[in-house]
Amino acid sequence: MTRHNRSVISRRSVLAGSAGFAVITGAGLTASAQETGPVRIGLIYSKQGPGASIGEYLQRGSELAVEQAGGKVLGRPIELIWLDEPNPQVSQQNMQRLIDENKVVAIVGGNYSSSALAMMSVAAREKIPLILPGAAASEITGKNCNRYTFRTQATVPVQMRGLMPYVAELGKKVYFLTPSYAFGQDILRSSRALLKEVGLIEVGVDEVPLNTADYSSYILKIRQARPDVIIGGLVGGDFSNFLKQWNEMGMKDRIPYAAVAVTDTDFWDVGPQASTGIYIKPWYYNNPKNTETEKKMISDFQKKYNQPPSDKTWSGWIAMRALLECIEATKSTDAKAIVTQLEKWKNTDGEQSFFFRDWDHQMVRPAVIVRVKKQITDKWDYFDFIKNTSGTEEETQNAFGTKEEIGCTMPSL
Amino acid sequence: MLDILVSQVANGLVLGFIYVLIAVGLSITFGLLGVINFAHGAFFALGAYVGWQLFQLFGWPAVILAPPIVGLIGMAVEVTIIRRLYGKEPLLSLIVTFALALLIEAIIRYVWGADGKPFNPPAFLAGIVEIGPLLITKYRVAVLVATSATLVALWAFLAWTPYGRILRAGSRDPEMVDLLGINLPRVLTAVFGLGCALAAIAGVLAAPLWTVSPSMAANAVMPAFVVVAIGGLGSLRGAVVAGLAVGVVTSLTIQFKPEAAAASMYALMFAIMLLRPRGLFGERWERFE
Repeated sequence: MTRHNRSVISRRSVLAGSAGFAVITGAGLTASAQETGPVRIGLIYSKQGPGASIGEYLQRGSELAVEQAGGKVLGRPIELIWLDEPNPQVSQQNMQRLIDENKVVAIVGGNYSSSALAMMSVAAREKIPLILPGAAASEITGKNCNRYTFRTQATVPVQMRGLMPYVAELGKKVYFLTPSYAFGQDILRSSRALLKEVGLIEVGVDEVPLNTADYSSYILKIRQARPDVIIGGLVGGDFSNFLKQWNEMGMKDRIPYAAVAVTDTDFWDVGPQASTGIYIKPWYYNNPKNTETEKKMISDFQKKYNQPPSDKTWSGWIAMRALLECIEATKSTDAKAIVTQLEKWKNTDGEQSFFFRDWDHQMVRPAVIVRVKKQITDKWDYFDFIKNTSGTEEETQNAFGTKEEIGCTMPSL
Repeated sequence: MLDILVSQVANGLVLGFIYVLIAVGLSITFGLLGVINFAHGAFFALGAYVGWQLFQLFGWPAVILAPPIVGLIGMAVEVTIIRRLYGKEPLLSLIVTFALALLIEAIIRYVWGADGKPFNPPAFLAGIVEIGPLLITKYRVAVLVATSATLVALWAFLAWTPYGRILRAGSRDPEMVDLLGINLPRVLTAVFGLGCALAAIAGVLAAPLWTVSPSMAANAVMPAFVVVAIGGLGSLRGAVVAGLAVGVVTSLTIQFKPEAAAASMYALMFAIMLLRPRGLFGERWERFE
């Protein structure tokens, strides 16, 4: 019996020893895998539903940025993992999945303000950098701001301020047609504050639920109210549906439509017949003021896909470019290092430099004002570029508001 | 105020007709086959895409071929998948057809891309009709006419033709129909194909109104279920009344409280379900009780 015990003990100690050895070497292997394996970056963009074409162009932009960097960062291959952004709950879950299962070092994604607000809380809790290429609601870099979230798109107040002078040219009576969620509510808030300044009056407002297919009843209401101009904020497929029906009901040339945060696919999906209006968007491919790197991106995209990129492509591209450049600059994939570097990042080629403001992580950059061409002859070129929302760097800084106005206070890392 | 109310009610009736057309195929599939077809919206979208593709290749007249083509696809789906769901519990058919819906949407996205397809009403139907306060587009009037014609044809088929009688008998008493020497499986396949063809007709008619995109199925399937639930499963009359009711309620909600417009049809369904769980004209189905 004693002999049996001794052999059991000795076998046990051998097992324990080898287990310990395995753990040590395993840990060592994992550590070296982290330094030489692929750098995983998560993407959260719509894959299906009304935002699918937006998601597709965003992903193409991010992918192009990776390709332009040679598919590598810090000498390691980049692996992009793309998950869906169908609604706030699932976007949040997908972000958690990217962090827990795919072990991403950072995430680029979030086109809808509602999803973005949900995803931001995960970024702050898990301490993983998140760059939002879309999502214009003010709270994101305002009262809900956090140290791990960055945003490239100009805020709603900035876009509305750029649009208002043109709205004022079109008449006095304004009708609002906005989507019923954070982004639409932000449009109403910002616009109502500006209306008095430019001497306009509000004659009606409709907050439309997302995924509304039929606008005929809304159009009847608008017709009844007889406004001079409509300020809108419908998004993606909803906007396309509205434009189609607006044209169908003979309203296209009767009452002008102005909106912010639109994208090229909203119009490409509808066709030249129904397209109309004056808009603010982040970027336009046929803008003569595009920078050299942007022009290269356009030609790379054109070669690959046989058509020009939409503004969403630019957004997905610039967010990924900033991330990759910061990882290279800081020579690490550590979250805190990336965040600190992004706060210092600056794009200097072009008329105006742009960067992420360090106290709220908002990209300070003018948006473009465009108008649908009277005659659309090219399959993709629907707009005339009018001007940027602000002409000089100083104007741009002022447009984005002071610390007191924005109301963002960030903790230390 | 009266003006705009009249206008909205008229608009709601027209919108309701579209919902009726979408729902009627679902009602038939459930009523005659006992299968809850969650993929109904996907066949609606398929109808729109096939119609668009035919238009691109051959011009407007070819679009009329879209419903028969989708009907044939529906028959193929019935033979391979749906057949196995007969007599099983309803939850199974819901899950399987839900998966089918996702599959069809993914195939549409794969074949035609995620972008929307510009599709406008034909030139001769452009323009609006104004009669006093009523404003309807010419195209919607055409949809009204086409839907009415389809519904009348369907009703006549079910009520007067021998095939219609067989379909109705087969749903009540499949064994008896079988004993009478009628090839029931073939009949059921045709019924499913008919349901899909009806969805496709709705898709083709709705395509110039709503953007043709892979997600358009979602805009169709939820109203279809609400209409069928309110009207009563398997009842053609119920689908018509419920569809028009949903259309009018939605329009009036948009007039007074637009934020609630999307929820209004569900509120209506909730109210009707509480008062009359079978739906307005629903019939008793032994197999579910």
